[in-house]
Amino acid sequence: MLRPILTGVRALSRLANGVAIGANAVGTLIVLGLVLIVNYDVVARGFFNAPFRGAYEVVQFSMVLIVFLQLPDVVRMNRLTRSDGFLTLLSTTRPRLADTIRRTINLVSAAFMALVAYAIWPEFVEMYETKDFFGVPGIFTAPWWPIKLAIYLSAFLCTILFFIKVVRPDQKIEPVRLDEHAEENS
Amino acid sequence: MTPFEIGILSVVAIVVLVYLGVYIPIALGLVSFVSILLMRDNFDLAVNLLKIAIGDSVMEYTFATVPLFTFMGLIVSKAGLGSDIYTVMNSGFRKVKGGIGMATVGANAVFAAVTGSSIASASVFSKVSVPQMLAFDYNPRFAVGVVAGSSVLGMIIPPSAMLIIYSFVAEQSVGDMFLAGVIPGILLAIAYVVAIFLMGRLTPSYVGGRSADEMEWMSPMEIADKTLPTLVLIVAVLGGIYTGWLTPVEAGATGSLLGLIIAVFRKKLTLKTLWHALLETGHITASILFLITAASIYSRMLGLAGLPNELGDLLTDTRLTFFWIMFIYVLLMIFLGTILDTASIILIVVPLFLPLVEPMGLSLVWFGIVTVVGAEIGLLTPPLGISCFVIKATLNDPRISLKDVFIGAFPFALVMLVVLIALIRWPSLSLAILN
Amino acid sequence: TETIKAVVIDGYPARALWVKEFTNFFIPEVDKRLAETGNYEMDWQESYGGSIVKPKGVLEGIKLGLGDIGIVTTIFHSSKLPTQAISAVTPFIAPDSRAVAKAVDEIAKEYPTMQKEFESQNQVYLATGVVLDTYQVFSKEPISSISDLEGKKVAGAGMNLRYLEGIDGAAGVRGGLTDFYNMLQTGLVDKAMLWPEAASTFKIAEVAPYMLKADLGAVNSKTITVNKDYWDKLPDEVKDVLQEVAVEYRDHVAGLAMDRAQASRDKYVEAGGTIVEMDAAEREAWAAAMPNLAVEWAAQLDSKGEPGSDMLKAYMTKLQDAGYSPTRDWSAELSQ
Ligand code: NA
Ligand code: NA
Repeated sequence: MLRPILTGVRALSRLANGVAIGANAVGTLIVLGLVLIVNYDVVARGFFNAPFRGAYEVVQFSMVLIVFLQLPDVVRMNRLTRSDGFLTLLSTTRPRLADTIRRTINLVSAAFMALVAYAIWPEFVEMYETKDFFGVPGIFTAPWWPIKLAIYLSAFLCTILFFIKVVRPDQKIEPVRLDEHAEENS
Repeated sequence: MTPFEIGILSVVAIVVLVYLGVYIPIALGLVSFVSILLMRDNFDLAVNLLKIAIGDSVMEYTFATVPLFTFMGLIVSKAGLGSDIYTVMNSGFRKVKGGIGMATVGANAVFAAVTGSSIASASVFSKVSVPQMLAFDYNPRFAVGVVAGSSVLGMIIPPSAMLIIYSFVAEQSVGDMFLAGVIPGILLAIAYVVAIFLMGRLTPSYVGGRSADEMEWMSPMEIADKTLPTLVLIVAVLGGIYTGWLTPVEAGATGSLLGLIIAVFRKKLTLKTLWHALLETGHITASILFLITAASIYSRMLGLAGLPNELGDLLTDTRLTFFWIMFIYVLLMIFLGTILDTASIILIVVPLFLPLVEPMGLSLVWFGIVTVVGAEIGLLTPPLGISCFVIKATLNDPRISLKDVFIGAFPFALVMLVVLIALIRWPSLSLAILN
Repeated sequence: TETIKAVVIDGYPARALWVKEFTNFFIPEVDKRLAETGNYEMDWQESYGGSIVKPKGVLEGIKLGLGDIGIVTTIFHSSKLPTQAISAVTPFIAPDSRAVAKAVDEIAKEYPTMQKEFESQNQVYLATGVVLDTYQVFSKEPISSISDLEGKKVAGAGMNLRYLEGIDGAAGVRGGLTDFYNMLQTGLVDKAMLWPEAASTFKIAEVAPYMLKADLGAVNSKTITVNKDYWDKLPDEVKDVLQEVAVEYRDHVAGLAMDRAQASRDKYVEAGGTIVEMDAAEREAWAAAMPNLAVEWAAQLDSKGEPGSDMLKAYMTKLQDAGYSPTRDWSAELSQ
């Protein structure tokens, strides 16, 4: 009875992690795109008298994509900001209690992200149907719906990832980001 | 419940949840959601608050400074600019007792001008300067303390992610905040150098170390090679912002591109390092901006509850003086600094105090500098002190415990407090450069 | 006496002209009128300056019920509120806030389109606000004709960047109001389009001492709206008072904007600025060089089954009746 459920969760976990990593890679390329676009505008405006009229909107657009495409991977890697000194301490004396608290926190987090997804979905539908855009007509405009869709999908994926952490909690939770600058100056 | 009670209760609830280990953005969002439910008994309204805050908050043009300056900081660390500056500074301070410590502070101050985060500073300098101090028989606690203390400069001297976050909450110009951070940052660096000098005089055994006679002076060519790239970056980025040629976003992008070019020239850029830097940038950006989004849900909830209006009335009724407001503010920040990271502190306390500070006619730019310096003290205090964690993790040396790092950082946290009081007492320290 | 709670929102700070006048004029005026019968009393909660919404978020905030009454800055919402661009697409007519505010407000009340746009955002239109007298061109170098604009970089924002289309080599550079001083000072731009009050607030005379009085025109940018669900529950007496006072607020704010404009021009000259009247022939040449934004605007609305062309014609007529003859008759080029 339990085994097929566990297998299912494992498969779901693999799939969700894969999607998170993929979205993260796309978000990463957008960071590079951001550097290039802003520099293009600076050069085109300063030296060729021809500013890129959509620079402002494109920057806004890419910020949303960077944040929401990468958020699931942040969740997956336990890098969402938290203060877990108490939990770490507790797990040395009362490991089972600490584990229960961890699972509860992830469950609550899943619930919150589900609320976010629930809040954004109607926005996406409305923007998609009305073809609503931002920016100034004749200057530069971009549609709203991809933004709302990105937020919705991101929140949905985060919900699943948190949920997986409830069912299959990670054995090791790092208090801070340690992998940073791993190879520099070495 | 009155707005005031909701304000107090929500802060308490957030602190308890965070202490239990709940992710900080989740704690902020959830407490806000529940507060609206309790206050208005209206589920749709609570959902609508999420809807508007989440869509609205990330769409801010100036937020592009967060990934851009983060990326620039990562790329220049990889290009070795931090350790270069340190080498140069070190050859200047080598004869003085505690000289490597002073060199670390000086190098941090310069490096701070090209990186937006303290984490980058802490990890670079624990690698380049701690081993050297240990080799010269400095007290390990002193060695790590210096690195922890001076890493804070990364977020006070512009560019700085924290100044960006404050400028968003308080609706101040990012450029103004950056410029206002210059003098306080330099002041803090000088205060550290003075403190190290005094420690060397008064408690030589705590500092330890011996002077290095065998070191050679660097040739001007060598110095130029090691400092020019950093100087070019500082001139382009801060100069661009100061003159108005570049918006902070554009300065970040220009700095990133220059950093990339420098890294290529130094043959420090492989596709793999580039990818890692971009990946890291994305992760930091996503977690900071998600935190900001959650904090914006929280501050809007307070607005909806009418807390700012209530606080304004309270101020006129009780006639709280400037002294007491700032006293309570600093105390609250130091308390929160024990368990929260800098960004969360700023995002939680600023909306509570803006309605008190604004009607007093105080400069919000000055208030931002005070806030960032005050909140950064928490980087050095246990149990959660991010800079200290990073140093401990980067060193990965069993002889130095996390406790040693915190003890070593303590004198520097005290120096910060003294500088903070000076900044509060003399606002012109922060504002002079703007006028 | 029944007490009715009202949450007023704007993302701009309390010191902004239209926000300050909401506090000092609109609210006391409503209170005064309600006190005459004594049936109702308002309990106001004023939440400005980002405490609940940012400037761009007022429309959505009112829609979602985070505020009951709001001051929507309409220029941010070209997509949801297209008809609000009516004065921005018809430059070179009236440099008078009062005339433009009245004309736009009457269009809103005579044609259903504007109110429908707000209704689909779950809110009720009360009145239009105009807070600037007219855009002018500020320049580092002496300026008198459109040839002085050729090949130059000109700072602007939103629709007014399109006024430069048709001038040879003139490039519009987008900027926030607070950036204009720096942009001019560093030579990032050579000129800037803004209104005299903003010019004096941001000390533009120091960096751009020549103002070309081109009188591009006043532009409507604020609308007072009420959340629809909240409105439906209001007693008729309160609804009537809100509607009446909103119209008076419209004229009050527009009048203040005009007073300030005059004072600001004086201050600009005192600060060392020179004002150059643009030659009528030059204004005509500029207007002639521009694309007909009004016709584009009307066609867009017509295609959606809204009376775009009729609104444009009626708007032009209203301004003409008020004594302002257009430099170029935008509606004469309509195809229907
Ligand atoms: Na910095
Ligand atoms: Na701390």
